[in-house]
Amino acid sequence: MDKLNIDQHISQQYNAVLDDLKTEFLEMGGIVEQQIIDAVKAITKLDTELAEKVLSVESTVDDREMALDDLCVQIIARRQPTASDLRLVMSISKATRDLERMGDEAKKIAQMAILISENGEILDGFGELKNLGRRVQQVVSDTLTAFARYDVNTALQIAEEDKAIDEEYDIAMRVLITYMMENPRNISRAMNITWALRALERIGDHAENIAEHIIYLVKGLDVRHKTISEMEEEVRPEK
Amino acid sequence: MTDKNINTIDLVNKNLKKRYRAEKRFQAYGILSICFGLMCLVFLFTDIISKGTRGFFYHYLPIEIHLDAEVLGITDTNDVHQILGADYTTLVKKRVYEIFEAKKRKEKKNARTLIAIDATGYRIQDLLKTNAASLLGTTITIDALVDDKVDFYLKRLGEKGEPGKEYFNEAQLLLIGKLLERQEGGFNKSLNKTFFTSGDSAQSEEAGILSAFMGSLYLLLVTFCLSFPIGIATAVYLEEYAPKNKWTDLIEININNLAAVPSIIFGLLGLAIFLSFFGFPRSTPLVGGFVLTLMTLPTIIISSRAAIKAVPPSIREAAYGIGASKMQVTIHHVIPLAMPGMLTGTIIGLAQALGESAPLLMIGMAAFIPDVPTAITDPSTVLPMQIFQWFRNADAGFSEKASAAILVLILFLVMMNALAVWARSRLERRW
Amino acid sequence: MENNTITDINDIKETVGIPLVDNAKMSMRDVDVFYGEKQAIFGVSLDIGVNEVIAMIGPSGCGKSTFLRCLNRMNDTIEICKVTGQLHLEGQNIYDSKLDVVPLRARVGMVFQKPNPFPKSIYDNVAYGPRIHGLAARRADMDEIVETSLRKAGLWEEVKDRLHQPGTGLSGGQQQRLCIARTIAVSPEVILMDEPCSALDPIATAKIEELIDELSENFTIAIVTHSMQQAARVSHRTAYFHLGKLVEVNETEKVFTNPDHSLTEAYITGRFG
Repeated sequence: MDKLNIDQHISQQYNAVLDDLKTEFLEMGGIVEQQIIDAVKAITKLDTELAEKVLSVESTVDDREMALDDLCVQIIARRQPTASDLRLVMSISKATRDLERMGDEAKKIAQMAILISENGEILDGFGELKNLGRRVQQVVSDTLTAFARYDVNTALQIAEEDKAIDEEYDIAMRVLITYMMENPRNISRAMNITWALRALERIGDHAENIAEHIIYLVKGLDVRHKTISEMEEEVRPEK
Repeated sequence: MTDKNINTIDLVNKNLKKRYRAEKRFQAYGILSICFGLMCLVFLFTDIISKGTRGFFYHYLPIEIHLDAEVLGITDTNDVHQILGADYTTLVKKRVYEIFEAKKRKEKKNARTLIAIDATGYRIQDLLKTNAASLLGTTITIDALVDDKVDFYLKRLGEKGEPGKEYFNEAQLLLIGKLLERQEGGFNKSLNKTFFTSGDSAQSEEAGILSAFMGSLYLLLVTFCLSFPIGIATAVYLEEYAPKNKWTDLIEININNLAAVPSIIFGLLGLAIFLSFFGFPRSTPLVGGFVLTLMTLPTIIISSRAAIKAVPPSIREAAYGIGASKMQVTIHHVIPLAMPGMLTGTIIGLAQALGESAPLLMIGMAAFIPDVPTAITDPSTVLPMQIFQWFRNADAGFSEKASAAILVLILFLVMMNALAVWARSRLERRW
Repeated sequence: MENNTITDINDIKETVGIPLVDNAKMSMRDVDVFYGEKQAIFGVSLDIGVNEVIAMIGPSGCGKSTFLRCLNRMNDTIEICKVTGQLHLEGQNIYDSKLDVVPLRARVGMVFQKPNPFPKSIYDNVAYGPRIHGLAARRADMDEIVETSLRKAGLWEEVKDRLHQPGTGLSGGQQQRLCIARTIAVSPEVILMDEPCSALDPIATAKIEELIDELSENFTIAIVTHSMQQAARVSHRTAYFHLGKLVEVNETEKVFTNPDHSLTEAYITGRFG
């Protein structure tokens, strides 16, 4: 059942429309992924130019989101998709929202990058930011690949990875809080960094949501609000 | 691509005219055939109607006649035998001689042959039969029937070549001429009641169609009463109940073949079985009905089966679906829906039977039957046989009567079909 | 990894999903149907629950109609048709040679693909069943049965002024509702519907579907349909037939979002069939 055979409908047009939907979604994913990479780079390198670029891409992402929603509505109205087709349309519809939110979070990071660079001073805590940024980038990239391949195993790993990201975020926060307590004058700067960290953590959450959509798409199982072990049990009942 | 399209259109247009012409030709063939058929029909009908209507009328000569009991030899007016046995011929002859002022033997003979003496005598006899006491001794005016040759001549007066003139000598023509010139008391032409009220006769002026008509009616009655229920029962059984196997196939083939068997064979069968073996009375509508039942059954069965087959299976399913039994489905739904078709088949079969003569020949229904049958066991003849016999007769009056009988036969058929159409429409309106 | 274009029936091993229920109105076990030499149904086991609407879907010639027709022995009218296996209506074997099909069909009514009212009046159409089964002793009783049945079929308001006009004069959708009224007039326990909307326009179809929903309060309904959307709309459980085998039976929500069998999936998403 891991294969969805989207391209095997009797109606060639239906195949084409579903294929379009998926391609558009992955393209949007690519744009958001690039946005995140750029945003992380901008904040770690304090590159305002790159940050501005991230901000400018935002409207493209919004347009893409609306176009994809429209496509989903049209498919539902005209084709009345069922089973895997229905799940594909529904997951893409939901995942698009998550992608758009990821874009928003990337925008926040870029804004923080601009704010921090205006202060012109490199602070501690950037190590944590870099680390977390790298992990989140990887997770987003994996998520899109898993979606393209309908890969449930990777999706499960992403869910696990998100938990790791959450832990890393907690650690980074503790570090920053310690830093702030040590040097209260830097609180406002440190706050900016916590915002960026927070945004990265949110991106990880959205990636996990998309991973859950992948599991729903492929297995037809709703694994939201479940622990990792429960998820694994449902997805791989025999193991 | 566009060039090619234009070319295609041109080619189509070029062929189009040819196609239209072919289509028109094709239609013309059809119209031509219909015209030919219609012409034949019109020709046939004008011929039969022009000849036949003549047969419905006859010329009469009103004569005053004194019913002299002495001449008639009647002493007791209550004695039926005396009235039946009285000598009307002499009475009429005497009066005829007086009218034509015939004295010599030759003159008498000339006068005698112009009037149908016997037939006129029968008319007087009929009158006396009911009312002897008051009429005897009085003078009455009676329409004496003219001789059939005179009638033939009179009906064709003014036609080219004066047909019928050759039947008479100079003196007779003179006498006819005299009567024709008379304003009052001359020949009058009126509806030939005898034709409708009496049976066959050796004399054409006395011959009527009633016995043949009644014979046909009784025959059809017997045929209908036997073939309709048997035919429908057979059709229903074969269609609804019979298992499909070798035996039913055999029966089916035989029924279909029977429809194509020459009808005279059925006559032979009737002769062998009904007359020789069962010993039914000869020449009767009963036996005729049996024979024609055998003949019409295949037609009725085949058309009834077709009608039953044409009942939509959805109706059967609907009835079965709410738990109707097989008999209920058949009686409540299949037969009522198939009834119009069954009736059509029956009417076709009966029309065929009405026109049939060959098988009846074999069971003696071709005999000369002057008496009108009153029951299905009375000897009788039928319309087609009567027509055949009259046409065979050389006498001029008979061929006219034959044509008239054909008209009656056709009328009979039309009425039967009208009845069928009426019955059909009534049955169909119920649904 | 399965191949979605299975055409070999040997690849279909057994029914997946939930073919059997606890409160079964009708229960069928290992049903085989033969048309002469040809086998049309292969070992189908299925329960139909009380007051349940079960939809049977599948490609043409998959045996769903044949199976439906076994449930009130409509196949008896086809001589070469032979049915084996256990078919029970409330524990009673309906293929028992001693059982009379007339009361069986009064308990398990049927509505057909094409609206097929008798060529009689609307009243007589509905009254026909009760009349042949002797359900009404007096004229007033019959009037009541006719009215209740037409009301249940949602047709009363439309035809109450012309009860004695021919049923064939109604529109297609009204005719089909008349047929449903005719079926429920004998108060069956189970109603079988063989593609009841295939000849109707969408509005008439919607009315029939609404009616099916209302009827399911009192009747057990088995419906064969070519329209998957219809099956999705009206049924509680959906059974998927393929090449004479029962591939999958599941809750309708499950079948149309996440079917268990790849063949069902392929059929309902329009990948073959």
